[in-house]
Amino acid sequence: MSKHYKDITITEDGQLMLKKAEKDQLETVWDRYESQLPQCGYCEMGLSCRICNMGPCRVDPFGEGPQKGVCGADADIIVARNLGRMVASGAASHSDHGRDLVEVLAAVAEGKAPGYRITDEQKLKSVANEYGIGTEEKDILKIAGDLAYCMQGDFGTRRKTITLIKRAPEVRRQLWEKVGVTPRGIDRETSEMMHRTHMGVDNGWDSLLLQAIRNALSDGWGGSMIATEVSDILYGTPKPVQTWANMGVLKADHVNILVHGHNPVVSEMILLACQDPVIVAFAKSKGAEGINLAGLCCTGNELLMRHGVAMAGNHLMTELVIATGAVEMLFADYQCIMPSLGNIATCYHTKMISTSDKAHFPNMEHHEFHPDNASELAKTLVRKAVENFENRGEVYIPVEPMPAVGGFSVEAILGALGGTPEPLLDAIKAGKIRGAVGVVGCNNPRLKHDYGHVNLIKNLIENDILVVDTGCAAVASAKAGFKNSEALQFAGPGLKEICGALGVPPVLHMGSCVDNVRILVLASALADALGTDISALPLAGAAPEWYSEKAISIGVYAVASGIYTVLGPMPPITGSMNIVKLLTEGLNDILGATFAVEPDPVKAALLIRKHIENKRAGLGLDSREVK
Amino acid sequence: MKKVVVHPERCVGCMQCMVACATAHSRSGNLFSAICEVPLPKPRVHVGVGLYGEGFPNRCRHCDPAPCMLACLPGAIYRNAEFETVMIDSDKCINCASCAMACPFGVIRYHEDMHAPPKQVVAVKCDNCIDRQAKGLVPACVEACKSSALTFETTSDALKRKTNEVARSVSIETGKIVVAPGFNLLNAAKKAQINLKAM
Amino acid sequence: MKYVIIGNGIAGIQAAESIRQIDSRGGITIIGDETFTPYCRPMISLVLEGAIPTEKLAIRGADFYEKLNIEPVLGKRVTHIDVDARQVIIDDTPKGGKKNHFSYDKLLIATGADARPIKAEGLSLGNIFYMRGQAHVCDMLESLSGGKKALVLGGGLVGFKAAYGLMKRGFEVTMLIKSGYPLSMQIDEAGGKLVLKELVRHGLKVMVGAEVKAFEGNGRVREAYLSDGSVLQCDIVIIGKGVLPSLSFVPRDQVRVDLGIVVDQHLETSSSGIFAAGDVAEYVDIARKTPWVNAIWPEAVNQGRLAGMNMAGRKVAYKGSLSRNVIRIFDVDVMTCGVVEPPDDPGYQVISKIDPHKNFYRKLVFRNDVLVGLVMVNDIDQGGLLVSLIQSETPIKISGETMLKPNFNYKQLLKF
Repeated sequence: MSKHYKDITITEDGQLMLKKAEKDQLETVWDRYESQLPQCGYCEMGLSCRICNMGPCRVDPFGEGPQKGVCGADADIIVARNLGRMVASGAASHSDHGRDLVEVLAAVAEGKAPGYRITDEQKLKSVANEYGIGTEEKDILKIAGDLAYCMQGDFGTRRKTITLIKRAPEVRRQLWEKVGVTPRGIDRETSEMMHRTHMGVDNGWDSLLLQAIRNALSDGWGGSMIATEVSDILYGTPKPVQTWANMGVLKADHVNILVHGHNPVVSEMILLACQDPVIVAFAKSKGAEGINLAGLCCTGNELLMRHGVAMAGNHLMTELVIATGAVEMLFADYQCIMPSLGNIATCYHTKMISTSDKAHFPNMEHHEFHPDNASELAKTLVRKAVENFENRGEVYIPVEPMPAVGGFSVEAILGALGGTPEPLLDAIKAGKIRGAVGVVGCNNPRLKHDYGHVNLIKNLIENDILVVDTGCAAVASAKAGFKNSEALQFAGPGLKEICGALGVPPVLHMGSCVDNVRILVLASALADALGTDISALPLAGAAPEWYSEKAISIGVYAVASGIYTVLGPMPPITGSMNIVKLLTEGLNDILGATFAVEPDPVKAALLIRKHIENKRAGLGLDSREVK
Repeated sequence: MKKVVVHPERCVGCMQCMVACATAHSRSGNLFSAICEVPLPKPRVHVGVGLYGEGFPNRCRHCDPAPCMLACLPGAIYRNAEFETVMIDSDKCINCASCAMACPFGVIRYHEDMHAPPKQVVAVKCDNCIDRQAKGLVPACVEACKSSALTFETTSDALKRKTNEVARSVSIETGKIVVAPGFNLLNAAKKAQINLKAM
Repeated sequence: MKYVIIGNGIAGIQAAESIRQIDSRGGITIIGDETFTPYCRPMISLVLEGAIPTEKLAIRGADFYEKLNIEPVLGKRVTHIDVDARQVIIDDTPKGGKKNHFSYDKLLIATGADARPIKAEGLSLGNIFYMRGQAHVCDMLESLSGGKKALVLGGGLVGFKAAYGLMKRGFEVTMLIKSGYPLSMQIDEAGGKLVLKELVRHGLKVMVGAEVKAFEGNGRVREAYLSDGSVLQCDIVIIGKGVLPSLSFVPRDQVRVDLGIVVDQHLETSSSGIFAAGDVAEYVDIARKTPWVNAIWPEAVNQGRLAGMNMAGRKVAYKGSLSRNVIRIFDVDVMTCGVVEPPDDPGYQVISKIDPHKNFYRKLVFRNDVLVGLVMVNDIDQGGLLVSLIQSETPIKISGETMLKPNFNYKQLLKF
């Protein structure tokens, strides 16, 4: 294999497919990244401002050129405004995703969503109870309707605080109240963030950042959390399930259909259509052995978690997977779908379908899915995918799939522990498990694909740190073989012992990127069990290859919830050393946690291990020196 | 005599010099009209990328003696003594690329240009904006550069400034003066990222 | 001080100019067999092609000799150098104040090279040309009208340029070559195949291995009889089988001659006071590390300049010559330099990158950590940078892969 491909990705399927893509003359994300170099330093440092039309402006980092925008904003204000707007966009994305699920829940309650149903009634009731909705002797659909109505209230401005922050430990909520970052309404905080960053509103870089924190919390404990809970209610709360990952999950003799994006509203209906016996028979009549549905990115994670649907690849693999020539149809909903995909598909027989009224793409056929038509539309389109099977050209499936186990919701983890977090806490207290780390986030062509995820996770588990992961990070570790029965060989002795006894891998797949809230819930449960705050626990977060604004929001709510978080790529903040200092040091005094930036996963693992050992010492547990 | 001096360590890679240069070498002199012109004006300064993703404004050094001038077959490359500028006479240029083979900095490009005969590809490179200089303006790239990676000053002033910087850094015990800590931090992160790719 | 320069090509012209810069009073005589105003030899193919008129060939004014106070002796060839008497003798009968011998204190031999002759019957027929000077091309232009088919002998630079020019004139061109692709002295096989593909795409016919035995015609050439028995119709024939240094007049017992006239680092020959420069001179090749005649324009310029300085008393050392060429062929740009086909020796490393879809090819040849050769097909903007690395023998510290990328640039050689 040429060194060139190995510099791009550590994955074998990725390397082989890059070679194929080069042969097929595809322009990939890496080609476009290369042609963007050098990237604008003002923008990389957060020092350019396009907010108003007196500008655009930029501030000279060397101090000789302009030091203020036309409006008078200095570097601190410009960087803070830009960062605040990134958080707003990320929080808006997760929360709008959540809102779409609440709308399906409302439609189900009204009987206007054929094909959708309440799958987890128990969870519906328990969440309804958290919202103060009585569930005794009440019709399930009535409860669903009431819950949807109450959740819609969380999005608006009628509440003093959003409902689900009650799940956070008491001390943490008091801290938020004291600092003034308790989120009041999901959309409100995003709206206010946009308002404050308008020219001439909030020009305190620190107060802007506090609003960014409140905005992110409205995502983590609001929009994203609602998304996860409603998804569980509608499609089932995940339980450990066998699955497979990498491009080898495509099957040469099957009709292959991919779902890409984030929201399970569409992909669940596609799954049902793929299982429809009439359509499966139709596929067989066309010479296929059956219909093979596989996922990409987080909508794939949603299906993986609940149904064991196989995972073809993460963010940076989405172009290459089409180049296999084995995909009959790809359904895209929204978020992280590169606008280049439709163009790549024109080189193959793959039909590309965009499904959301809010997400259109070049060279994709647009078929809007709504709760009332989703079930029928899914069947119609899957039939078209089957018809497309005969148009296949050459097929190249580069590798064999890697087995993995997914489906670790909080409920499933507590279930494995026998219903209480105590056994996990005992293992931590005994030092067999040193702590736990959430490894999350995207891929980024700035970095070698999957290198950060895989090496960080490897370093953590071999040092007896339990890893939970989500999103593209979770796909990376599944492909690397950290999630199957053989994975315990990579774990340190303590972690191996505990995971072995529980029958779980050392790396637990907790879902999609909105499912990071499962980590918040788990962390709260552990803190409550110990009667302390999340920030006192031997926990950390990491986003080794993040790229998206959503990841910024996640990082901010993680830190604001008390979780020390290490980022791989540098965010666009270095234009203000005040902000760098606040985020990497000052926040510790305010929220009990900070960010760190370290692209090298080996060094990042050291930072995390030091942090975990310090926290252990703080709890009076044994503490190791980390070198 | 003032000259354009390049300070590569200050280039942030924003490419605004390229846009300004192309605009300055358009018929209209205005960015919004320039992008509709035929031929499309193109920059004579090129921001290349270094090994760590950093920017580098690559610009004609107006060498003396100039290798391109010696290599030019039709004698189209000449020196404007007043502005100490190596110029290309696009009426004489035969687009043979001999200058591409001679220029050790790779600053010459080949395309249509408003000063060249229509539809004819010719060699094009930096002319030090002598038209602007004649009007008392600084070269367009310098005007656009807000991080002082491109300055317009006499060589002795540039040297003096450099010497002062070095002297200051020597006199401070901690060593080198950090002019822009944030930029250094960004570059350190980028360098780390690139180095990881080779692992 | 009396300077005599034999040859009014670019080496001679450059030498005269640099002598004049240093010595404003010394007498300079230039003896040349061409009577045109100093012109650019590599551009004559552009005249054939029709890209430029003959007038654009001139690179100096008609008053060149007058302005620099040079005595021109044009249209004459030198027959002999009397080294002991320090005299140059030309093939002219002395009469009416004209002399046939010129005394010198410093002599420069810059006679260039002549087309290598071929052996075949019927060479005296009309419309059979060598292509070396402006006169050849002027003659060709007069013979073009009405012609349809052309035959070009040789796939070297001259043959290639002749074929390209005639194709642009609308001729059906057949090229006879020895190797499987043209420019085999300049380019490697992979690059040569790309060049061939581009030429064939535009209608060139190529015959490999065959040679002409005889030409026939009625005053003007009509047919060529080949060694493989075939017969080709042709209205015009151009012979481009390479060049030979013009040094028949050089006394080999007093001036050391190898393939060319051997010079030292000051362009001085083995005979004190006699210098040589340009296509006739032989000095060490920087990339090959062996004596070589690099008969190319930029070396003639360089050597002429330096020889002039040394003759006028300013000691300037010449580092060595370097073969290199840049050619545009329809939509394909080609640049080559130094060692393109390295010998089978573990000291050499070759790396290359080819993308046939984009017609991109780049090959770099290293000897230990020094770049010694390159072939570039398209994306040649940064070629001069790579050539300068070969020229300066700079040890390369960065990865070769980086240098293969089209966006490789000067900055990547600098420290971060």
